[in-house]
Amino acid sequence: MSIFSIQLLTGLAYGMLYFMIAAGLTIILGVMNIVNLAHGTLFLISSYIAFTFISQNVGFWAALLLAMAGTAILGIIIERLLIKRVYGKELEQVLLTFGLTYIIADTAKWIWGTEMHTIAVPVFLDSSITMGSMVFPVYRLFVVLVGCGLALLLWYFESRTRIGAVIRAGVDDRDMVSALGINVGLVFTGVFAFGAALAGLSGVLGGPLIGIYTGMDSEILVTSLIVVVIGGLGSWKGSFIGAILIGLIETFGKVWFPSFSMLIVFLLMVVVLIIRPQGLFGREVA
Amino acid sequence: MKKNLLIMFLLLIAAAALPFIVSEYGINLAAEICIMAIFAMSLGLIMGYAGMVSLGHAAFFGIGSYTVTILGSHLSNFYLLILGSIVLSGLVALITGAIFIRTSKFYFLMITLAFGQLLFALTWQLKDLTGGADGMKISSTMNLGFGDIVSPLGIYFVMAGAAILVYIFLRFFVHSPAGKIIKGVMENESRMKALGYDPRIYKLLAYSVSGALAGFSGSLYGYFNLFVSPDLTNWMFSGQVMIMVIIGGVGTLIGPAIGAGLFIFLQNFISTYTERWPLIMGLLLVILVIVGKGGIIHWFALLRSKIFYRRSQKRMEYAQNHAQKEEVTN
Repeated sequence: MSIFSIQLLTGLAYGMLYFMIAAGLTIILGVMNIVNLAHGTLFLISSYIAFTFISQNVGFWAALLLAMAGTAILGIIIERLLIKRVYGKELEQVLLTFGLTYIIADTAKWIWGTEMHTIAVPVFLDSSITMGSMVFPVYRLFVVLVGCGLALLLWYFESRTRIGAVIRAGVDDRDMVSALGINVGLVFTGVFAFGAALAGLSGVLGGPLIGIYTGMDSEILVTSLIVVVIGGLGSWKGSFIGAILIGLIETFGKVWFPSFSMLIVFLLMVVVLIIRPQGLFGREVA
Repeated sequence: MKKNLLIMFLLLIAAAALPFIVSEYGINLAAEICIMAIFAMSLGLIMGYAGMVSLGHAAFFGIGSYTVTILGSHLSNFYLLILGSIVLSGLVALITGAIFIRTSKFYFLMITLAFGQLLFALTWQLKDLTGGADGMKISSTMNLGFGDIVSPLGIYFVMAGAAILVYIFLRFFVHSPAGKIIKGVMENESRMKALGYDPRIYKLLAYSVSGALAGFSGSLYGYFNLFVSPDLTNWMFSGQVMIMVIIGGVGTLIGPAIGAGLFIFLQNFISTYTERWPLIMGLLLVILVIVGKGGIIHWFALLRSKIFYRRSQKRMEYAQNHAQKEEVTN
């Protein structure tokens, strides 16, 4: 029982990390119609930035903010300079973002080497809560709380604010939004930067849990793509539920069927696709 | 058609003459290029003729190479092993494709990517079968019925022959009635539906043929490299073959093969000078996207149309009229 609930917490914590990165991926895909293959590398680069600042004795919170700002700025540069030129051109987008993953990941390898790094758990979260025979690490609880907080924030943002309405409209009908006189270019840059910052948040918070190593960007990208497929394009609610599902299945799968954890995740995706090809909360795909 | 025959003839001569010009290293490189050309042509088939952009094609390549490696320790017949890997990868493509083609373009891209990573994870995790991260040595040698082929020159000729066979097969395939319907589905799905064809069947046919050919190239790679590892199924490899297809030119048969040649050549050439090949490749890709227009094959076409502007104009008109006529007869 005690192991079960600790696994549950771990699964939820991983799920929240996937949610943070998938939320950015899904909104970029939903609004801008771009599969950002470089999203995983934004996660990676943010971990490295935070790691560097923290090893220079910058505090955890400051490092978190700096890393998020850094990835957001990187996102703005990428969108303004490159992605802007390939809207509506599917193959060019794939080629471009794939090229970016190589550039960013190889540069990171150049700067930080291939050895594994970890971000230390911040001191004030480096404890555990004991309930009976169960010991819960506070940091994992913290990640779950941040994830739930973000979900609430996104829900409020999407359904109660003007920008949220523009974004929702953008997912449904992009041309109509621009016909209404809204500066779509600015919205796109904002969405991309926001998505990048969320990947950054996930990267820093994931540092103490999964560590930082070359190749993790691919793993996290694939998992978050699966989350997006399960949840549905452009749906934050779908990403939230999909991410929790994947986080739990992965964690328990690793305990019960160590060789087939990826297979179970994949089968879940296939089942969802057969029942609802547009994903759990996706709108009908045209 | 006559011009195509001439090109084919020149290619054949070039393939046959190559070993007399280059060193042993060059022969090895040429053999690898031939294998990758088959792989790229298989992906080029679904990308250029069926409009399906897959980022998980290395899965089939991996199935092919692991099949010859794993079965090769029990069985030594070259033809049976190759046939086995073609059939197996084709079957896997048929089964998975039946699910994947239900979805539209972005979903298809993401799902094929996830499928590729599934195989990647399985090759890591099923250590008893695949050797895990250490990979596996292939135990059987290439034997077409007249003795073992082990010299680089012999291997090169086998690979070059295979690449030419695949090219000829694909030519027949895309010009066959089924191939034309597949292209018709890509251009206008509802029209083909209205004409009474089931688009799914034809998409699935293209995907299965493509998967089987990718498996074929993978099995050849097993014989070439004598060693297989999980990296062969990684999505980065799928991405690389997609690069080959795109830089060569989507929508042509020979373009992907040329793209494969250029990619493998550059990779080997630049890697001898620097470890930063991935960085350089990424930069080249970004530059290509920003300045390039539709792959090398189309650059040639652009160049030609600039030189022979009037003539190509006429030819375009003729082609358009011809295409319309063909549509009517179809």
